[in-house]
Amino acid sequence: MPTDRSVLRARIENAAEYVGPLWPLQAFNAANPLVGFEDQPFDRAVQQAEQLFGGQGYPGARVFRQAWENGEIDPDVLARRLAEHGITQRPEVLLDRMERDEGDGEPSMPADHPLNRVMTKWLAAFLDQGQADWAMPSREDGFYAAWRTVAPYDTAVPGIARSSDVPATVAAAFEEVLAGYPEEQWESIFAHHLAALPGWVGFIKWRARRGNTPWQEAYPISLVDYLAVRLTLARRMGHAIAPDRANELPVNGTDRPYLPRIWLRAWEESYRSALLGDLRQAPLSTRNGASTDRPDAQLVFCIDTRSEVIRRHVEAQGHYETHGYAGFFGVPMQHQPYGAEERVKSCPPIVAPKHRIAERPAEQHRDRAERYDGWMRLKAAGTQLLKTLKKNVAAAFGFVEGSGGFFGGAMAARTLLPSGLFRLGKTIRDRLPGPEAFAEPTVDREAVDPNDRDGLPVGLSHEAKVLYAEAAFQLMGWTTFAPLVVFAGHGSQTPNNPYKSSLDCGACAANPGGPNARVLATICNDEAVREDLRERGLDIPDDTVFLAGQHNTTTDEIRLFVDEDDPPVPPGALDRLRQDLRAAQADATAERVETMNATVDSGRPEASIQEAQRRAADWAETRPEWGLAGNAGFVVGPRALTRDLDLDGRCFLHSYDWTMDEDGTALENIMTGPLVVGEWINTQYYFSTVDNAAYGSGSKVTQNVVGKVGVVQGNGGDLMTGLPLQSLMADDETVMHRPLRLLAVIHAPVDRVDAIIERHAILAQLLDHEWLHLTVMAPEPDNAFVRYQPGGTWEAESSIVSSSEAETPVSPGTAL
Amino acid sequence: MPTVLTRLTWGLFALSLGLLVWPPDPGWAGDTFLRIDGLTRLMAAVTTFVSGIVHSFSRRYMAGARHLDRFYARLFGLTLIVLLLTAANHLVLFVLAWTAMGWVLADLIGHVRGWPQARAASGYARRSFLSGSALLAGALGLLGVQAGTWTIGGVLAAVGTLSAPVVVAASVLLVLAAMIQSALVPFHRWLLSSMTAPTPVSGFMHAGLVNAGGVLLARFAPVVFELSAVMLGIVFVGGVSALLGQAWMLVQTDVKRQLGSSTVAQMGFMVLQAGLGFIPAAIAHLLLHGFYKAYLFLAAGSVVEHTQPTPGERPAPSVIGGLVTLITAVAGGALFATLTGKSLTALNSGTVLTLFVVIAVLHATRSLVRRAELSATTRLWAVPAVLLPAIGLYAAVYNGVGAVLHTLPMAEAPTALTPLHWGLVAVFVLAYVALDRGWHRASTRLYVTLLNTSQPVPTTLLHNREQYHAH
Repeated sequence: MPTDRSVLRARIENAAEYVGPLWPLQAFNAANPLVGFEDQPFDRAVQQAEQLFGGQGYPGARVFRQAWENGEIDPDVLARRLAEHGITQRPEVLLDRMERDEGDGEPSMPADHPLNRVMTKWLAAFLDQGQADWAMPSREDGFYAAWRTVAPYDTAVPGIARSSDVPATVAAAFEEVLAGYPEEQWESIFAHHLAALPGWVGFIKWRARRGNTPWQEAYPISLVDYLAVRLTLARRMGHAIAPDRANELPVNGTDRPYLPRIWLRAWEESYRSALLGDLRQAPLSTRNGASTDRPDAQLVFCIDTRSEVIRRHVEAQGHYETHGYAGFFGVPMQHQPYGAEERVKSCPPIVAPKHRIAERPAEQHRDRAERYDGWMRLKAAGTQLLKTLKKNVAAAFGFVEGSGGFFGGAMAARTLLPSGLFRLGKTIRDRLPGPEAFAEPTVDREAVDPNDRDGLPVGLSHEAKVLYAEAAFQLMGWTTFAPLVVFAGHGSQTPNNPYKSSLDCGACAANPGGPNARVLATICNDEAVREDLRERGLDIPDDTVFLAGQHNTTTDEIRLFVDEDDPPVPPGALDRLRQDLRAAQADATAERVETMNATVDSGRPEASIQEAQRRAADWAETRPEWGLAGNAGFVVGPRALTRDLDLDGRCFLHSYDWTMDEDGTALENIMTGPLVVGEWINTQYYFSTVDNAAYGSGSKVTQNVVGKVGVVQGNGGDLMTGLPLQSLMADDETVMHRPLRLLAVIHAPVDRVDAIIERHAILAQLLDHEWLHLTVMAPEPDNAFVRYQPGGTWEAESSIVSSSEAETPVSPGTAL
Repeated sequence: MPTVLTRLTWGLFALSLGLLVWPPDPGWAGDTFLRIDGLTRLMAAVTTFVSGIVHSFSRRYMAGARHLDRFYARLFGLTLIVLLLTAANHLVLFVLAWTAMGWVLADLIGHVRGWPQARAASGYARRSFLSGSALLAGALGLLGVQAGTWTIGGVLAAVGTLSAPVVVAASVLLVLAAMIQSALVPFHRWLLSSMTAPTPVSGFMHAGLVNAGGVLLARFAPVVFELSAVMLGIVFVGGVSALLGQAWMLVQTDVKRQLGSSTVAQMGFMVLQAGLGFIPAAIAHLLLHGFYKAYLFLAAGSVVEHTQPTPGERPAPSVIGGLVTLITAVAGGALFATLTGKSLTALNSGTVLTLFVVIAVLHATRSLVRRAELSATTRLWAVPAVLLPAIGLYAAVYNGVGAVLHTLPMAEAPTALTPLHWGLVAVFVLAYVALDRGWHRASTRLYVTLLNTSQPVPTTLLHNREQYHAH
């Protein structure tokens, strides 16, 4: 029976839908691990996923108990929800029952699984990105061919004496294995074998889809390869090809009243009514967004939940206005950092980059660049020297003897004096300024290099510049411009942390957002661009200067990228802004360290900054910062709605003014872009929290980085996906991230929102299947709340009380 | 409890440091059970230093862990046991400390009890350690009965009176026990399966606990050095592990097993140094390697970086570069030999030690000289700037260790060079050239064999992630 390739490919594609892609650690993008199930209602999806991967889909009793005891679940709401299902027991009784239902589950006995063992051995060898000095042979021929080369020598696989003992091609391999199985059964066979190792399969999925990474180009692998190897191995090793269970594809779940589901809804509803109650406090004047008086400065931050904290504290320092905008600042670019060979995507995972931005030394700073380059070359030589000596078969022994003493000293310094190392790093950076002090982004269009591998043009055309600038101010609803406008990207600072990129900007594909901020600031300072913007009705005053900066989310320092020799703003104004940012840093870190099991002297404002800086430099710190833990809300509207509220760093905030967006395109962009990415982030945190083994990556304490791309637990096996325990839990008992599905609150007319949902199936699907909740705050006539109901109907929120009467605070603090 | 135990450990470190500088009267403990000599003082200082680092590191690294007290109790207990081991003079006490050390270490490998794979790794390690303890008990029992004394000092003094078969049997048992503890081939598997341990435990294990094999050989040097055939055997097993461990390292794709393979190699080299008759060299190696490896384990989270697939390109060799390299290498070796008081002309097993220093200097110089992007002047000063402090510090440690250990019986017993020694040197030089030229890449069989022989115990692999449990 000759196998039709396209049929095979389609069957594999379908079967692979269930496994979510896994990004490498260098760019650990957030994604819903159950993205393949989003076309089904949440409840059914998690039940199916449980059958396939064994993961829990709802929080456990322990998490609910914590929320209950902290008063995060409104007793009335819970009682009402329970009553709807005819349950009348007291919540404490139900918690006990849930705990009993979960059972402790006698830990399973460790058992060998030869097929998985051989598979993971070769997957780790093939997918290595530079850890091993001697990589798997013949990788350039692709995974199947490379495996065929090594198989005859692999004593773990019986019956292969030479390569010709296994089919020569992938197609022949499938023909051999699938003979005897009807085509209808293929998909379930594939799904079974793909779901056996969801970590590695997810990573292959990512690599194969983003075919243009240099590693994939050099050493191609696809799910077809994976299945060909796995099925051939299964046959040789006497493993079942087809799963035992009949019909094998996950079957539909039931709709039985399930306690955790009811509790989760009650918790979400409690959060919603508290948040909406707070929002109701907003002054009615904000019904028509924009304020008219001119602030001293406007600062634009990423919509990231961490921005909410720093924005509050910046605003408190003076006459400042802050805004929220997706942290890639609307510039779909690929970034090549100064002196680096790699090019990294620097825009959201759902957007394709259109421009390449490199960093070139500015004419007036050539000398600085040369000095820096000299030191970097020396550093590279040193790193290379260590690497080659460490791995050399004969030189390694003498090397260890010569260097051991220095390693001992370094170990003591890094363990005992992390704060000192932070200061040392700062001193070195002051003495030897990095690229941000002398390099400029290549914003202007340059000639296209025809030999370039992905052919992205360097720089932006004039039209593109005008477009991005206009889009930014339109989406945020700007009419006034302060003398100083700061675009602040964000990035984290954390050594010895495989998950560093998960703390960087999600809108920049898990990279720091500073480079994007610089591009937009450069664009907006361009006279020609302003000229065109004026024609389009955006009048930027001549005295307005745009600056770029970066918010260090670990230390809350905001660095401004300013040429100190020739500042574009009066030094007095700049100094004042810097002083205020420093004061905001002290306040923000003081708020944050309280949630971090830290004891600092609260009387000393510098103490909290120092504690945050210690975390940013400490190689022993597994919780440098909380990232987006806690995220639960997504507010789209003018800042005036939230300005006086403390949202506890739990809300994404996107600036939007419905009065300036008559045709609704700006809102459409927000809802199909940032909001969808927000859902990805939220579901990643949700599932990593509710089942850290199946959807998260377990404790950092026993993690082991494999191939420089992923993490395994202990000695190896399947790749772990999702976030580590320390990113989600305050300690082994207490969750920091509250696993709630994201609640979007949009300040816009209902019909406008409804029309957008109508037009975009992805939004309708997420909302109808309850992967995302939505409430609209209808500005006319009276900011009434209207909730989207699965199926597309709207229902007025009735039970919202204002927060002064609410029993459930929005920001319950952390349970430490 | 973590705070208290961390402070106590640092207190012990301060005490050990004091004892290192101002040696106590060796007889104060009565000699029957304990005896504080140079080896004790040195190992106490090193062990408490690494243990202190690991204690302090874990304060932040393990924060919030559910069984933190249990973790710290084991860590601290292990430190005390090692101190006791190095000070024990009674044979029974020594065996008991040895057994307890293995038991507690196996517990720490399986610290995450709810995780089946960790329990499997722990069980495998425990069985290895118990066999090691049994071998040790056999060796010491034999020696004790034959010598008619139950103190180490007594046995060592009586070695000359024992019959050759007894010495051989005891030596073989001792070497086997040391090989298990130091994870030498073919007993390396427990170490390569031990990554279920929390990272700081791995740091302590690779920097401290695997060294006990070397301490055992140092302690019983008069027994194992009694017959030159045994010494040759030690050189052989050490050499095999050094070569194989380093080769395993080449093919590992995860950071921790790569470090583990490197430990197998370095322990092999340390045992090899002992077999050459240079106990101080072996002890200096194990403590310097301890610092090195503990650092790399604690920094194991730092390996994530952007990389590009680069087909190995080799810069064209230049005559001048080659000449500079060769001269520097010989000069480096000569400097080391002079600083450590080795004869430059007399050939003995110490020459082998110097040759390894020469190779390291050679490779470092080559690597620096080849950096085309560095200017000629930079390269000119970089070579001495890198090499002089490294050689100087190593020589200082070497001499310091020698000074502290000078009272140890049979600390230095250089042997004559045999064909085995020359063969060993030849194999390493050949391996160096082969790797440099890339000859090894031609053999797929070799690649697969190296990968397969360095696999962990199958039941310690986590394939079904549902089985994972964080505590």
